[in-house]
Amino acid sequence: MTHRFSIVRRIAGALALGTSLALAAPAPTYAQALRVAVIADIANFDPHQFSSVNASLIKNLYDSLLEYTPDGKAIPSLAESWQIAPDAKSVTLTLRKDVKFHSGGAFNAEAVAANFKKAADPKLGKNVFATMGIVDNWQVVDANTIKVNFKTPVPERQITDLFQFISIIDPAGIDTVEQKPAGSGAYMLGERVVGQRIKLVANPNYWRKNEPVTKDVEITVFAQDAAATAALESGGADVIYGGTARSAARLKSADYPVLSGPGPLVQVFRINATRGPFKNAKFRQAFNYLMDRENILKAGYAGLGEVVALPWAPSSPAFDASYTKTYAFNLDKAKELLAASGLSAADQSAWKLVVNSGSQPDVVISQLVQATLKKVGINIELDMKEGSDLVDTMLQGRFDALFGGVGNIQKFPSRLATNSIYRTVNNPVLGNPHPFPEYVAAISRVDTTVGSPAEVKAAYDGLNKVLIETAFGIPTNTYDQGIIVTGKNVTGFTLDMDNMLVLRTTGIKK
Amino acid sequence: MSGALVAAARVGRRVIAKPGAALSIAFLAGLSTLAACAGLLGFDPLTQDVIRMLEGPSRDFLFGTDELGRDILARVIYGARTSLVTAAGAVLLAASIGVPIGLMAGFFGGWRDVVLMRIVDLLLALPGIMLALAMIAVLGRSQAAALVAVGITGVPTFARVARAQVLTLRRRDFVTAVEAFGATSSYSMFRTILPNSWSPILTQMVVLSSVAILLEAALSFLGVGIPPPTPSWGEMLRTGKEYLHDAPTFAVLPGLALTLTILAFDTIGRALSTVIEGRDTVIAARSDER
Repeated sequence: MTHRFSIVRRIAGALALGTSLALAAPAPTYAQALRVAVIADIANFDPHQFSSVNASLIKNLYDSLLEYTPDGKAIPSLAESWQIAPDAKSVTLTLRKDVKFHSGGAFNAEAVAANFKKAADPKLGKNVFATMGIVDNWQVVDANTIKVNFKTPVPERQITDLFQFISIIDPAGIDTVEQKPAGSGAYMLGERVVGQRIKLVANPNYWRKNEPVTKDVEITVFAQDAAATAALESGGADVIYGGTARSAARLKSADYPVLSGPGPLVQVFRINATRGPFKNAKFRQAFNYLMDRENILKAGYAGLGEVVALPWAPSSPAFDASYTKTYAFNLDKAKELLAASGLSAADQSAWKLVVNSGSQPDVVISQLVQATLKKVGINIELDMKEGSDLVDTMLQGRFDALFGGVGNIQKFPSRLATNSIYRTVNNPVLGNPHPFPEYVAAISRVDTTVGSPAEVKAAYDGLNKVLIETAFGIPTNTYDQGIIVTGKNVTGFTLDMDNMLVLRTTGIKK
Repeated sequence: MSGALVAAARVGRRVIAKPGAALSIAFLAGLSTLAACAGLLGFDPLTQDVIRMLEGPSRDFLFGTDELGRDILARVIYGARTSLVTAAGAVLLAASIGVPIGLMAGFFGGWRDVVLMRIVDLLLALPGIMLALAMIAVLGRSQAAALVAVGITGVPTFARVARAQVLTLRRRDFVTAVEAFGATSSYSMFRTILPNSWSPILTQMVVLSSVAILLEAALSFLGVGIPPPTPSWGEMLRTGKEYLHDAPTFAVLPGLALTLTILAFDTIGRALSTVIEGRDTVIAARSDER
């Protein structure tokens, strides 16, 4: 009996030892450094400036109040919880208490208030300014609680969009944030050599436990996409961020992992409805059928993306796949609308397509459209522009038509109106008052519908119908500006809703 | 006139006698013929077939297809037309402006020489590509604009060459004799001095053709040349480098065509220069002495 007991005890002991060894197994270890290749240097360190070149840094140096999962669910970040008032006119944010900025300064409600103040300033708010338009005021309740009041009842998704969009800057560094980062993110700036490289070092006081998994990150700026690709293939880089779709497609075929986030852009054939033949509604509507979307996606973006007839990503609540089928490329239907427009052949050809000559996809798809239009008797010239000339042309509406990417298409649908061609007020292309009041009303209805899901869907359907009928923007396809291609040994990417580069969970497992 | 033709024929024969120059002339003649008759030969540089984009060489497409499924061979041939027409136009423009400037500056001398040559020096001081870029910025992107931009960059060279010739010939007896018979200044310049200055100007025209082709290609490569879909070698190089992995022929073939054309013009120019300056005869004479 004693012996049997002894055996049982030994077996139990062995099991306990095994279990404890298993439990004590070391967490995966990662290489000390990660080398990232990007194609353009950053513009500055301000996280409220969402230019694509800054996307490699924002989510590494800063954290936002909320984050989204790739399927669009809002999850806590610097705000550990949020409570929307029953009347949807305010929200109370409860902030984490264990967060410090890189400077050692405390993260608290006052810091958030300082960021709201910057974001609401038309000169300082940059890309966040338009989104702050729903906010009336805010009150610091206590050190870790802040209440935000809205001008009107606001749908929940629009509220979470706002807090996901705002990365929090250390109040002590707000005035100098363009030159010197001041965040609370997983990484701190180690060194920057303008035009060449940026070194990031792990934040030793980061609030997310066991992150970042890689201690040092070196971001190298490559002048050419081909050079970055060669670096990855030769082992000189571990990750390429923001390369071209064509390179990504080629590397994918060579079994390199390619990651696309949930926040693509939509390519939109922008029409200045106040000029030339585009004043004619039937003529504009013909372009819904004149876009050879499949070939545009293939030739311009190596097939990486999806064809769409509406300016939404598939993850958008307003996305409706049926429109893509209804408004598929169809020259016969286009010809019917062109004939119904009553415009002469000469009038139909009396415009130019402005092309961003610095963007190879734009040059390719513009030539594709030019050839398609020739098939229906519309002969146009391409007007090549780039740099400040192009930006002025776009933002001052000095064009008949041009292709341009549109962002925020994966979020609350009215965020579409932050893009110049889709603005409802002070529209730089279509002017004031907006020539399509039905579009302005549809956006307003989306903004103010906080009722049942059926009511919300009806508002989205109304907007979709108006977008097709007014036809001042003809979407063709989604495309990814922040494509991530990695070496075969790199793991653990966190995909961001805005397709920014998030490296805190990324590393090379030893 | 017949004397000039006889002299030209003699120079032509001596140039053709040089194997490199003969080969270059044959190449350029073939290229020009192909470019001029491309339409008749059934080449189509504009028809797109996206399904067959970036294909390698095949029976249907000898040089493969580009990013929109267009025939690269057809685009290289039509690109030759763009390059040759732009170069010829630019050289003629440069000569028609530069030569009269040089003639007047050299013939009249004095303040007119100083003013005209300082303007020429100013143009000469600016790098050609910068001058061309500035002109494109003003004129916009088109073949005509590229032609004018490239042409203007060649004006100083012709002005300098023409002025040097005038200074050499101005005090020669035959010019003095014509003036003694009461010839006007314009008669002396354009009917007496100019016909005797054609050889270095002609050489310069050939040499400048290669420079003009290169400059037009450079403008297109920088994205400010002739706008698409008009085929241009420089534009094909610019686009082709984006697809070097997928379709190497896309960039390599227009690059090769560009290189060979420039080499051909340069070879002819050097041969012409040697013949006109009589260096080949001197070398031959020295050989005889041995």
